[in-house]
Amino acid sequence: MLGIPTVGITVEPEETRQARPPRALAPRAREGASGLAFSVGRTMGRAGDAALQRKILKDALELLTSPPRPGEVQVVDYA
Amino acid sequence: MPDAIEKPAPLELSRYCVPFTPFEKPLGSSRVCLVSTAGVYARGDAPLVASGDNTFRVIPGGATSKDLAYADEHYPHDCVDADLNCVFPLDRLHELAAEKVIAGVAESHFSMGFTQQLAAIRSTTVPLLARAVDKVRPDAVVLTGG
Repeated sequence: MLGIPTVGITVEPEETRQARPPRALAPRAREGASGLAFSVGRTMGRAGDAALQRKILKDALELLTSPPRPGEVQVVDYA
Repeated sequence: MPDAIEKPAPLELSRYCVPFTPFEKPLGSSRVCLVSTAGVYARGDAPLVASGDNTFRVIPGGATSKDLAYADEHYPHDCVDADLNCVFPLDRLHELAAEKVIAGVAESHFSMGFTQQLAAIRSTTVPLLARAVDKVRPDAVVLTGG
């Protein structure tokens, strides 16, 4: 079977690192970002915040075309 | 008499190997598949068993969040009750396709649910799921948990 490129979006970066992911993005609430938290059940941040969810998804997809850093989880801050 | 040729030791993959497949297409030409463990399924389909289920569900590519539901007892639901995109951003993927960030969504997406039977999912569920994704042959897969 030929491989298919993957990218994960994770709210548990330490656990994900142990799985040695090919690509992974961990969204994190920027300090002072009120009402925003990334945790199990809210991987994409806020309900109904389409712009934020789209930004996270787009940032994850861009890891596919970024210089490869296999095994690492990219932590990205969002407001 | 020459020394007996030693048999090479069996090849063992390093525990530190990363299963990396290069991405070689422009993102704008790519069809993207969502694969999740959030317990998502298409309305009308049999729900995953929230207390523990080793199967997965196939979600039609053209579905939107209105066509989907979730079965779960293990993560907080305040966000997903209001917006399933909190864990399964399919509407957002459609929007990125409309904006031509990606070419489109795959013909199917997939979701597992909660299970603690790690040996069983490793030996059975994951190979079946991998083959199902392989039949679709998306250009890339986005993975989400719950």
